[in-house]
Amino acid sequence: MTTPTVDHDLSFTFAALADPTRRAILTRLAAGDATVGQLAEPFSMTQQAISKHLKILERAGLISRGKAAQSRPCRLVPGPFDIAAEWIDRHRQIWQDRYDRLDAHLSALRSGREEQTT
Amino acid sequence: MTMPGEFTYRRIHRASRELLFDCLTRPEHLTHFWGPAGTTTPLDGITVDLRPGGAFETVMVNAEGNQYTMRATYVEVRRPDRLVWTEPDVEGGMTTTITFTDLGDGHTEVTTHQTNVPAAVADPRARQGFETSLRRFDEYVAGLASRRDG
Repeated sequence: MTTPTVDHDLSFTFAALADPTRRAILTRLAAGDATVGQLAEPFSMTQQAISKHLKILERAGLISRGKAAQSRPCRLVPGPFDIAAEWIDRHRQIWQDRYDRLDAHLSALRSGREEQTT
Repeated sequence: MTMPGEFTYRRIHRASRELLFDCLTRPEHLTHFWGPAGTTTPLDGITVDLRPGGAFETVMVNAEGNQYTMRATYVEVRRPDRLVWTEPDVEGGMTTTITFTDLGDGHTEVTTHQTNVPAAVADPRARQGFETSLRRFDEYVAGLASRRDG
């Protein structure tokens, strides 16, 4: 079997994230690198089954695996997550600022109205 | 786990739904607060054609005088309940949905929901319009792959 390249199929990424076991693996890897054996421990799964999930995650560009060590520890590739997190932070900030200013504008409207009606 | 590229922001304002809807859809209001921070939104740069398919455009100017134009199209216009627009040029297609809920005591909850590419891609029905973003993401993922191989 050839090493799958991460070419032109983003659906890999989203398919990879759709599975709860794979999300749990990613959560574990967020705490630090781990070998297949370490990853298999909390799941009632064989290392072979875990390896299958890891292949899918690797193909999706969400994890990388060490080449030197025989244990080939897995590591989270933060790129895709960082992009998502940055996007959310950026847009949340824009709306927060915008609605702060909207509140100030509403206060101005209210005080203007109160002056007019008296 | 939240899907990437999607978020909801809730705020309670002391105003009626009608006034809040008008604030978000009338140039004479928008110019006071649209922003973003550090920019101004001159009245003459705001286009609002308030109907589904109509244009919603704002020109934002920063302190250095640089301009940034937001180009959106209204999808749904339902005063005072709901306002939806899309920005086809942003990140491959971004949709903003704003809903206005009357809290009954002179306050209104405004819920802003935005989605971009990844969430849209996760929805097969919405997949077709998002080839641009797929390409962008593709390039990014390909970049990751080549770094790893290199």
